[in-house]
Amino acid sequence: MQLTQKNLLGIKDLSINDIQTILQTSTHFKEILQRVSKQLPSLRDLTVVNLFYENSTRTRISFELAEKRLGASIINFTTSGSSSAKGETLLDTVKNILRMKVDMVVVRHSASGVPHFLAKQTNAIIINAGDGTNEHPTQALQDAYSIQEKFGKIEGVKVAIIGDILHSRVAPSNIYLLTKMGAEVMICAPPTLLPKYLKEAFPLIHIEYDLEKTLRWCDVANVLRIQLERQNQPLFSSLREYNLSYGIKKNILHRIDKEIVIMHPGPINRGVEIDSDIADSEQSIILDQVENGVAIRMGVIYLFSGSPIAVNTK
Amino acid sequence: MKLLLEQVKIVDPRSKYNNQIKDIVFLDGVIKSIQDQAVNNKDSYDRIISKNNLSISLGWVDCFADFCDPGFEFKEDIETGSLAAMAGGYTSVCIVPNTMPSLQNKTQIDYIKNRSQHLPITIYPIGSISKNELGQELAEMYDLYDHGTIAFSDGWHPLNNSGLLLKALLYIKRFNGTLIQVPIEESISKYGLINEGVVSTKLRLLGIPTVSEEIAVKRDLDLLKYTNSRLHFSGVSSPHAIDSIYQAKKEGYSVTCSVTPYHLLYCDEDIVNYDTFFKVNPPLRSKQDMLALRTAVLAGKIDCIASHHRPQNYDSKICDFASANWGMITLQTAFAMVQDALPTITSNQIAELFTYNSRKIFNIPTATIEEKQCVEITIFSETDTTELTVANNKSKSANTPCYNRHLRGKVIGIYAKNKLIIN
Repeated sequence: MQLTQKNLLGIKDLSINDIQTILQTSTHFKEILQRVSKQLPSLRDLTVVNLFYENSTRTRISFELAEKRLGASIINFTTSGSSSAKGETLLDTVKNILRMKVDMVVVRHSASGVPHFLAKQTNAIIINAGDGTNEHPTQALQDAYSIQEKFGKIEGVKVAIIGDILHSRVAPSNIYLLTKMGAEVMICAPPTLLPKYLKEAFPLIHIEYDLEKTLRWCDVANVLRIQLERQNQPLFSSLREYNLSYGIKKNILHRIDKEIVIMHPGPINRGVEIDSDIADSEQSIILDQVENGVAIRMGVIYLFSGSPIAVNTK
Repeated sequence: MKLLLEQVKIVDPRSKYNNQIKDIVFLDGVIKSIQDQAVNNKDSYDRIISKNNLSISLGWVDCFADFCDPGFEFKEDIETGSLAAMAGGYTSVCIVPNTMPSLQNKTQIDYIKNRSQHLPITIYPIGSISKNELGQELAEMYDLYDHGTIAFSDGWHPLNNSGLLLKALLYIKRFNGTLIQVPIEESISKYGLINEGVVSTKLRLLGIPTVSEEIAVKRDLDLLKYTNSRLHFSGVSSPHAIDSIYQAKKEGYSVTCSVTPYHLLYCDEDIVNYDTFFKVNPPLRSKQDMLALRTAVLAGKIDCIASHHRPQNYDSKICDFASANWGMITLQTAFAMVQDALPTITSNQIAELFTYNSRKIFNIPTATIEEKQCVEITIFSETDTTELTVANNKSKSANTPCYNRHLRGKVIGIYAKNKLIIN
């Protein structure tokens, strides 16, 4: 199984075959994860560093578990307690770690393009675990996997992505992946949370400001988190007003009189973009997404390691 | 020094010899003769320049470059900046005040003059409009002017405080001075990294819309009209902003503008893969805007080419895009970048854009290429090619995407202060 890319920098660079290969491979791993013995020796010669320059719960644990399940040796790096707090540059940190014979770098960073920068500057295999507002490819893969699991297909499924599109890295990855795989995509947000040239950049998507119209249209609502930590300028008046206008609530779901699937990449701001009773309801597959995330990351690491493993030559 | 330039094309729209190919003899910086063929014995010359397809024009002037000195000498200093300027054909360079400390008192101006007086080219300091470029209080502009400041600007940090800008425009009328603004409204552009458009949306970098420039130009023009002062916009990148400036100029206001070589040669589509060498401010605009800018230059709507030479050290550029510093080095390649972007540009337009208009706007001494005139000149070829390499780069910094790229047009050298510098 050959992928077209050496690194997973984003869904943008993946071919349809690459995506299908990752989804199919992950299906095998999901099956294994249901067993009592979940441990595989497949990648015991692979050393991975999880380089997290930004906070993460799900993604970091999911990657770590996936790496452990595959038998890889792992190092976890976070900025607190590291030399980056002393002013060491990202590149110096990575070069030093790689010199200790590390093969793969799983990187999360607050700046868009950091994985691309590392891919240019080093020979290691780079896996993007979320870069700024650019991409979060493994999240999109687990979302697509979850949709496929629920509907038996991706093609033709109507997926609405709702919320803070401006700051979301999940949204672009989802748009790339879903449109490549033939799903229909609608984006719904207040105009201040939408990039002005979104339609020009992604001609296949629909854009809608009205939540109810969006929910009436879609089969799946992927609800994004309001990224309060990135709001450095006024983009909406209050969380209360956001919840009233764009929050997924019981009354609006009753009104549309249609059973739609609710997704959320987490972490949830309960009572802001989604109410608790919806997040925890039967129509929510939020925890399925999390479960699938481990299988997807096993698939990604397995495939991008080039198993038998790629050798770090730098 | 006695210098013979053999069979060179004179590019000087104000000279009776314009566009004619002549032998020119210089004696100690003064043109001794201009003839079809110099008759003297060739042994009598100290230097002879003889090469096909050479042109000369009055020495080029750059009106907006950063030499980073004092304060940031690890990026550039007056010596290395001047070497890059000379290699790029410039005999005069106006340098921005964004040093540390800012060029905001006579001591700083004297420092620049003392450090540069032995050089073959002339360095003209631009003084700060506001103290520490903070946009809150006026710098001592009268004192700065008396000590040789050529113009006033807050450089890379344009003055967005309308009240202070109004006062500054009024203040400089005492000596008929000129303010320079890079047109950026920072309340709109503050978090942006590249031009807002399809490319920024795909790269997911926050955008800087052209409206941030257009609104700044309109505001500044309104203040200019109110004060009837003199204003120059440097590095304009929006075609709409150029239209506004051109309209005000037609109405008779003292407003001029420049564009950079990089806004003519590159557009945001070149920023593939987060290449930090393309991170400049104002940002590289859309391809459509770039083409409109080229048209505006050829239509005579732009007064000068401003290099916006802005050196950055290795670590400021070899990092992620958001962390990278702004700017590109351009002095050495500016002419070839412009020629490459505008293949139909005429020799006369080169002379207007690279020297005459800047001299007029900033009251820099000028002359005509005719006998008995004391002139500094730039010797160039419109047909040869320039290739900037690690070996021939004169700047202390290397932040340019032009490395190893063949660009049309080449600077052969300069002759200024009776010194001949050949590349």
